[in-house]
Amino acid sequence: MNRERFEQIVAAYGADPRRWPEAERAAAEAFAAENPDAAVLTVGEAGLDRMLDHAAALPDTSALAARILAQTQARAGRAFDTRALVALAACAVFGVIIGYSGGQFAPVSDVDDYYFSAAFEAPLFDGDEG
Amino acid sequence: MIDPDESLVRSVGAGDGRAAEALVRRHLPRIVGLARRMLNDANEAEDVAQEVFLRVWREAPRWKPGAAKFETWMHRVALNLCYDRLRRRREKSDPDAGINVADNRPMPSDEWLARQRSAKVHAALAELPERQRAAIALVHFQELTNIAAAETLEISVEALESLLARGRRALKAALSDVAHDLMGDADGASQV
Repeated sequence: MNRERFEQIVAAYGADPRRWPEAERAAAEAFAAENPDAAVLTVGEAGLDRMLDHAAALPDTSALAARILAQTQARAGRAFDTRALVALAACAVFGVIIGYSGGQFAPVSDVDDYYFSAAFEAPLFDGDEG
Repeated sequence: MIDPDESLVRSVGAGDGRAAEALVRRHLPRIVGLARRMLNDANEAEDVAQEVFLRVWREAPRWKPGAAKFETWMHRVALNLCYDRLRRRREKSDPDAGINVADNRPMPSDEWLARQRSAKVHAALAELPERQRAAIALVHFQELTNIAAAETLEISVEALESLLARGRRALKAALSDVAHDLMGDADGASQV
């Protein structure tokens, strides 16, 4: 840290070390402590810092926050409605396809199919009866 | 790099209403403050903040922690929205835009004085070129680090320091005649 860099830091960031570049803060503070005349450089910038602080108050945003969050909930509600409608539409389309296809796309178990056909294909009576 | 907003943003992206509320409470006042300093208009600043959060809700499900912190990204969005509005003002040349209507309601003298001081500083800030104003808003008022401020403005740290130094010089000149009143002490004028 030399005087030129110290002057640059104070001219850009002001007199408050909290705003000085983190990587140079300790060196700049040490420079100021070792060079009493360096403190003179910070006087004008400290004055400007104090003036700027008159405009530093954060606005009351509680009403705006409520409006923004209400919009978010409405948006989330609309998104849910849209998802529900898409799911219903998909179910309806699937149902129509199944209906028109005569059930050929419907899943049927092979095991059930065997017992079903076996029951109806077996002869009702033994050959030697009557 | 640790991003203090990372888990909150992830929860917002997953539709967590409480996380959305926490994110608004954490950042809204600072975003409105930044927009007010850029636009010198309270109503427009609120509109900008609303637009910023609409983009936050849209981007949160896709947000991936990267080189920049979420707060830096929000500041960049807010600044770009402010630049758009300032450009539209110039195109329209609306003489009333950006001028706050004086509040003539009776109020205690201390409060009146504080508002007057704040208005003078805001007016001096409004006279600065946009980039200088943005640099001072980010570093002095938002208290971003030099690296975060440079990232937000998408410039180098050296360029940021140049903007800051020129902006502060211009502010000192603009406020020199009201320094005593603003400082509220006897040595105010001599210190600027």
